[in-house]
Amino acid sequence: MSERRAGVPGLDERAERGPVRRKGVGVPASGWFDPRGRALGGFAFAVNRITGLGLVFYLYLHLAVLSLLLRGEQAWSDFLRIATSWAFLSLDVLLLFGLLYHGLNGIRVALVGTGVVPNRQKALWWSLGVIGTIALIGGALHIAGSA
Amino acid sequence: MATVKTRPQTRPPRRPRGGRSARGWGLTTISGLAVLILVTVHMVANHFVIESVGGLRSYQQVLDYISNPVIFVLESLFLVFVTVHAMLGLRGVLLDLDPSPQTLRWIDRGLVALGIITLAYGFLLIGVLASRA
Repeated sequence: MSERRAGVPGLDERAERGPVRRKGVGVPASGWFDPRGRALGGFAFAVNRITGLGLVFYLYLHLAVLSLLLRGEQAWSDFLRIATSWAFLSLDVLLLFGLLYHGLNGIRVALVGTGVVPNRQKALWWSLGVIGTIALIGGALHIAGSA
Repeated sequence: MATVKTRPQTRPPRRPRGGRSARGWGLTTISGLAVLILVTVHMVANHFVIESVGGLRSYQQVLDYISNPVIFVLESLFLVFVTVHAMLGLRGVLLDLDPSPQTLRWIDRGLVALGIITLAYGFLLIGVLASRA
Protein backbone atom coordinates (compact mmCIF):
# COMPACT_ATOMS: atom_id res chain seq x y z
CA MET A 1 0.00 0.00 0.00
CA SER A 2 2.80 2.37 0.92
CA GLU A 3 4.51 1.58 -2.38
CA ARG A 4 1.34 2.46 -4.24
CA ARG A 5 0.99 5.67 -2.27
CA ALA A 6 4.59 6.54 -3.03
CA GLY A 7 3.66 6.55 -6.71
CA VAL A 8 0.86 9.08 -6.30
CA PRO A 9 1.90 12.33 -7.97
CA GLY A 10 2.04 15.36 -5.72
CA LEU A 11 2.28 13.35 -2.48
CA ASP A 12 5.61 14.88 -1.48
CA GLU A 13 4.21 18.35 -2.01
CA ARG A 14 1.23 17.50 0.20
CA ALA A 15 3.56 16.79 3.10
CA GLU A 16 5.01 20.29 2.91
CA ARG A 17 3.63 23.03 5.11
CA GLY A 18 2.29 26.11 3.41
CA PRO A 19 -0.62 27.24 1.26
CA VAL A 20 -2.79 24.52 -0.29
CA ARG A 21 -1.90 25.77 -3.76
CA ARG A 22 1.41 23.94 -3.41
CA LYS A 23 -0.31 20.65 -2.59
CA GLY A 24 -1.61 18.00 -4.91
CA VAL A 25 -1.84 17.93 -8.66
CA GLY A 26 -3.79 20.06 -11.07
CA VAL A 27 -3.86 23.20 -8.94
CA PRO A 28 -1.99 26.06 -10.58
CA ALA A 29 0.86 27.62 -8.62
CA SER A 30 -1.11 30.87 -8.38
CA GLY A 31 -3.84 29.20 -6.27
CA TRP A 32 -7.62 28.84 -6.44
CA PHE A 33 -8.16 32.54 -7.13
CA ASP A 34 -6.66 32.13 -10.59
CA PRO A 35 -9.39 30.61 -12.80
CA ARG A 36 -7.14 30.34 -15.90
CA GLY A 37 -6.68 26.87 -17.36
CA ARG A 38 -9.23 25.27 -15.05
CA ALA A 39 -11.93 22.73 -15.69
CA LEU A 40 -15.49 23.95 -15.12
CA GLY A 41 -15.53 22.74 -11.49
CA GLY A 42 -12.32 24.61 -10.64
CA PHE A 43 -13.55 27.75 -12.38
CA ALA A 44 -16.89 27.57 -10.54
CA PHE A 45 -15.10 27.09 -7.22
CA ALA A 46 -12.74 30.04 -7.82
CA VAL A 47 -15.59 32.39 -8.80
CA ASN A 48 -17.62 31.15 -5.82
CA ARG A 49 -14.76 32.08 -3.47
CA ILE A 50 -14.24 35.48 -5.10
CA THR A 51 -17.96 36.35 -4.97
CA GLY A 52 -18.10 35.07 -1.36
CA LEU A 53 -15.26 37.34 -0.28
CA GLY A 54 -16.90 40.21 -2.14
CA LEU A 55 -20.19 39.58 -0.34
CA VAL A 56 -18.48 39.51 3.08
CA PHE A 57 -16.91 42.88 2.21
CA TYR A 58 -20.35 44.13 1.15
CA LEU A 59 -21.93 42.89 4.40
CA TYR A 60 -19.70 45.22 6.43
CA LEU A 61 -20.07 48.05 3.89
CA HIS A 62 -23.85 47.63 4.15
CA LEU A 63 -23.76 47.76 7.96
CA ALA A 64 -21.58 50.88 7.78
CA VAL A 65 -24.01 52.56 5.37
CA LEU A 66 -27.02 51.62 7.52
CA SER A 67 -25.29 53.36 10.44
CA LEU A 68 -26.31 56.59 8.71
CA LEU A 69 -29.89 55.78 9.76
CA LEU A 70 -28.79 56.11 13.38
CA ARG A 71 -27.61 59.67 12.66
CA GLY A 72 -31.08 60.73 11.55
CA GLU A 73 -33.20 61.61 8.56
CA GLN A 74 -30.88 64.24 7.07
CA ALA A 75 -27.87 61.90 6.94
CA TRP A 76 -29.99 59.20 5.25
CA SER A 77 -31.44 61.64 2.71
CA ASP A 78 -27.94 62.85 1.83
CA PHE A 79 -26.88 59.23 1.26
CA LEU A 80 -29.94 58.56 -0.94
CA ARG A 81 -28.88 61.40 -3.24
CA ILE A 82 -25.55 59.60 -3.86
CA ALA A 83 -27.04 56.10 -3.90
CA THR A 84 -29.48 56.93 -6.68
CA SER A 85 -26.76 58.04 -9.09
CA TRP A 86 -26.04 55.92 -12.18
CA ALA A 87 -22.58 54.91 -10.95
CA PHE A 88 -23.98 53.63 -7.66
CA LEU A 89 -26.87 51.80 -9.32
CA SER A 90 -24.38 50.06 -11.64
CA LEU A 91 -22.65 48.69 -8.56
CA ASP A 92 -26.05 47.31 -7.50
CA VAL A 93 -26.04 45.20 -10.66
CA LEU A 94 -22.57 43.91 -9.72
CA LEU A 95 -23.91 43.07 -6.25
CA LEU A 96 -26.87 41.26 -7.82
CA PHE A 97 -24.46 39.21 -9.96
CA GLY A 98 -22.46 38.25 -6.85
CA LEU A 99 -25.60 37.24 -4.95
CA LEU A 100 -27.02 35.24 -7.84
CA TYR A 101 -23.78 33.46 -8.68
CA HIS A 102 -22.90 32.61 -5.08
CA GLY A 103 -26.45 31.55 -4.25
CA LEU A 104 -27.11 29.44 -7.33
CA ASN A 105 -23.65 27.85 -7.26
CA GLY A 106 -24.27 27.12 -3.58
CA ILE A 107 -27.42 25.22 -4.55
CA ARG A 108 -25.38 23.23 -7.08
CA VAL A 109 -22.65 22.43 -4.54
CA ALA A 110 -25.25 21.40 -1.94
CA LEU A 111 -27.10 19.14 -4.41
CA VAL A 112 -23.87 17.50 -5.59
CA GLY A 113 -22.22 17.33 -2.16
CA THR A 114 -25.21 15.80 -0.38
CA GLY A 115 -25.53 13.15 -3.07
CA VAL A 116 -28.93 14.29 -4.35
CA VAL A 117 -27.55 14.89 -7.86
CA PRO A 118 -23.99 13.57 -7.70
CA ASN A 119 -23.25 13.14 -11.41
CA ARG A 120 -24.86 16.17 -12.96
CA GLN A 121 -22.71 19.04 -11.74
CA LYS A 122 -21.95 20.42 -15.22
CA ALA A 123 -25.58 20.27 -16.31
CA LEU A 124 -26.59 21.94 -13.06
CA TRP A 125 -24.00 24.68 -13.53
CA TRP A 126 -25.26 25.50 -17.00
CA SER A 127 -28.96 25.29 -16.16
CA LEU A 128 -28.61 27.39 -13.00
CA GLY A 129 -26.41 29.73 -15.04
CA VAL A 130 -29.27 30.29 -17.47
CA ILE A 131 -31.68 30.96 -14.58
CA GLY A 132 -29.16 33.32 -12.99
CA THR A 133 -28.57 35.20 -16.25
CA ILE A 134 -32.30 35.71 -16.78
CA ALA A 135 -32.70 36.89 -13.17
CA LEU A 136 -29.70 39.23 -13.53
CA ILE A 137 -31.10 40.77 -16.72
CA GLY A 138 -34.50 41.18 -15.06
CA GLY A 139 -32.93 42.75 -11.97
CA ALA A 140 -30.70 45.05 -14.03
CA LEU A 141 -33.68 46.23 -16.09
CA HIS A 142 -35.63 46.88 -12.87
CA ILE A 143 -32.74 48.92 -11.44
CA ALA A 144 -32.26 50.79 -14.71
CA GLY A 145 -36.01 51.35 -14.98
CA SER A 146 -36.20 52.84 -11.51
CA ALA A 147 -33.46 55.31 -12.46
CA MET B 1 -33.33 -16.42 36.01
CA ALA B 2 -31.97 -13.24 37.48
CA THR B 3 -28.66 -12.06 36.19
CA VAL B 4 -26.13 -9.85 37.81
CA LYS B 5 -24.30 -7.32 35.67
CA THR B 6 -20.64 -7.54 36.46
CA ARG B 7 -19.24 -5.32 33.75
CA PRO B 8 -19.25 -1.55 34.09
CA GLN B 9 -22.27 -0.13 32.27
CA THR B 10 -20.76 3.19 31.27
CA ARG B 11 -21.19 3.79 27.56
CA PRO B 12 -18.40 5.28 25.53
CA PRO B 13 -19.14 8.90 24.69
CA ARG B 14 -21.11 9.29 21.48
CA ARG B 15 -19.12 10.87 18.75
CA PRO B 16 -20.92 12.73 16.00
CA ARG B 17 -20.62 11.30 12.51
CA GLY B 18 -17.99 12.82 10.32
CA GLY B 19 -15.11 15.04 11.28
CA ARG B 20 -15.07 18.69 12.15
CA SER B 21 -14.75 19.69 8.51
CA ALA B 22 -17.83 17.58 7.62
CA ARG B 23 -19.84 19.32 10.35
CA GLY B 24 -18.56 22.67 9.11
CA TRP B 25 -19.63 21.81 5.57
CA GLY B 26 -23.08 20.77 6.79
CA LEU B 27 -23.50 23.94 8.81
CA THR B 28 -22.34 26.06 5.86
CA THR B 29 -24.87 24.34 3.60
CA ILE B 30 -27.78 24.72 6.04
CA SER B 31 -26.96 28.35 6.84
CA GLY B 32 -26.47 28.99 3.10
CA LEU B 33 -29.92 27.63 2.33
CA ALA B 34 -31.45 29.81 5.05
CA VAL B 35 -29.55 32.85 3.73
CA LEU B 36 -30.75 32.14 0.21
CA ILE B 37 -34.41 32.20 1.30
CA LEU B 38 -34.00 35.20 3.61
CA VAL B 39 -31.90 37.25 1.17
CA THR B 40 -34.61 36.78 -1.45
CA VAL B 41 -37.22 38.09 1.01
CA HIS B 42 -34.85 40.92 2.03
CA MET B 43 -34.09 41.99 -1.55
CA VAL B 44 -37.67 41.81 -2.78
CA ALA B 45 -39.11 43.56 0.29
CA ASN B 46 -36.43 46.25 0.35
CA HIS B 47 -35.69 46.94 -3.28
CA PHE B 48 -38.28 45.47 -5.62
CA VAL B 49 -41.63 46.56 -4.19
CA ILE B 50 -40.72 50.19 -3.50
CA GLU B 51 -41.64 52.76 -6.15
CA SER B 52 -38.58 54.98 -5.88
CA VAL B 53 -35.19 55.45 -7.54
CA GLY B 54 -33.05 52.35 -6.98
CA GLY B 55 -35.81 50.86 -4.85
CA LEU B 56 -34.43 52.58 -1.76
CA ARG B 57 -36.70 53.47 1.15
CA SER B 58 -36.88 56.92 2.70
CA TYR B 59 -36.00 57.33 6.39
CA GLN B 60 -39.62 57.07 7.55
CA GLN B 61 -40.28 54.12 5.25
CA VAL B 62 -37.30 52.28 6.77
CA LEU B 63 -38.62 52.87 10.30
CA ASP B 64 -42.13 51.73 9.35
CA TYR B 65 -40.69 48.65 7.64
CA ILE B 66 -38.44 47.48 10.47
CA SER B 67 -41.07 48.11 13.17
CA ASN B 68 -43.32 45.47 11.60
CA PRO B 69 -42.95 42.44 13.95
CA VAL B 70 -42.79 39.90 11.11
CA ILE B 71 -40.13 41.90 9.27
CA PHE B 72 -38.25 42.44 12.54
CA VAL B 73 -38.03 38.67 13.10
CA LEU B 74 -37.13 37.95 9.46
CA GLU B 75 -34.37 40.58 9.41
CA SER B 76 -33.02 39.30 12.75
CA LEU B 77 -32.91 35.74 11.40
CA PHE B 78 -31.26 37.02 8.23
CA LEU B 79 -28.60 38.77 10.29
CA VAL B 80 -27.88 35.60 12.31
CA PHE B 81 -27.68 33.24 9.34
CA VAL B 82 -25.71 35.60 7.10
CA THR B 83 -23.15 36.19 9.89
CA VAL B 84 -22.76 32.46 10.59
CA HIS B 85 -22.43 31.71 6.88
CA ALA B 86 -19.92 34.53 6.36
CA MET B 87 -17.73 33.43 9.28
CA LEU B 88 -17.76 29.80 8.10
CA GLY B 89 -16.90 30.94 4.58
CA LEU B 90 -14.02 33.08 5.82
CA ARG B 91 -12.78 30.11 7.85
CA GLY B 92 -12.84 27.96 4.72
CA VAL B 93 -10.77 30.51 2.79
CA LEU B 94 -8.27 30.85 5.65
CA LEU B 95 -7.99 27.05 5.92
CA ASP B 96 -6.74 27.05 2.33
CA LEU B 97 -3.63 28.79 3.63
CA ASP B 98 -2.92 25.61 5.62
CA PRO B 99 -2.43 27.20 9.05
CA SER B 100 -0.80 25.32 11.91
CA PRO B 101 -3.19 23.92 14.60
CA GLN B 102 -2.22 26.79 16.92
CA THR B 103 -2.92 29.41 14.24
CA LEU B 104 -6.20 27.68 13.43
CA ARG B 105 -7.27 28.01 17.07
CA TRP B 106 -6.57 31.74 16.90
CA ILE B 107 -8.46 31.99 13.61
CA ASP B 108 -11.45 30.25 15.19
CA ARG B 109 -11.37 32.58 18.20
CA GLY B 110 -11.01 35.63 15.96
CA LEU B 111 -13.93 34.60 13.76
CA VAL B 112 -16.14 33.87 16.78
CA ALA B 113 -15.29 37.32 18.17
CA LEU B 114 -15.93 39.00 14.81
CA GLY B 115 -19.23 37.15 14.49
CA ILE B 116 -20.36 38.21 17.97
CA ILE B 117 -19.41 41.85 17.30
CA THR B 118 -21.25 41.76 13.97
CA LEU B 119 -24.38 40.30 15.57
CA ALA B 120 -24.26 42.74 18.48
CA TYR B 121 -23.94 45.74 16.16
CA GLY B 122 -26.61 44.42 13.78
CA PHE B 123 -29.11 43.83 16.57
CA LEU B 124 -28.33 47.27 18.03
CA LEU B 125 -29.06 48.80 14.61
CA ILE B 126 -32.31 46.89 14.13
CA GLY B 127 -33.44 47.49 17.73
CA VAL B 128 -32.75 51.24 17.73
CA LEU B 129 -34.49 51.76 14.37
CA ALA B 130 -37.52 49.70 15.40
CA SER B 131 -37.81 51.67 18.64
CA ARG B 132 -37.83 54.98 16.73
CA ALA B 133 -40.91 54.14 14.67
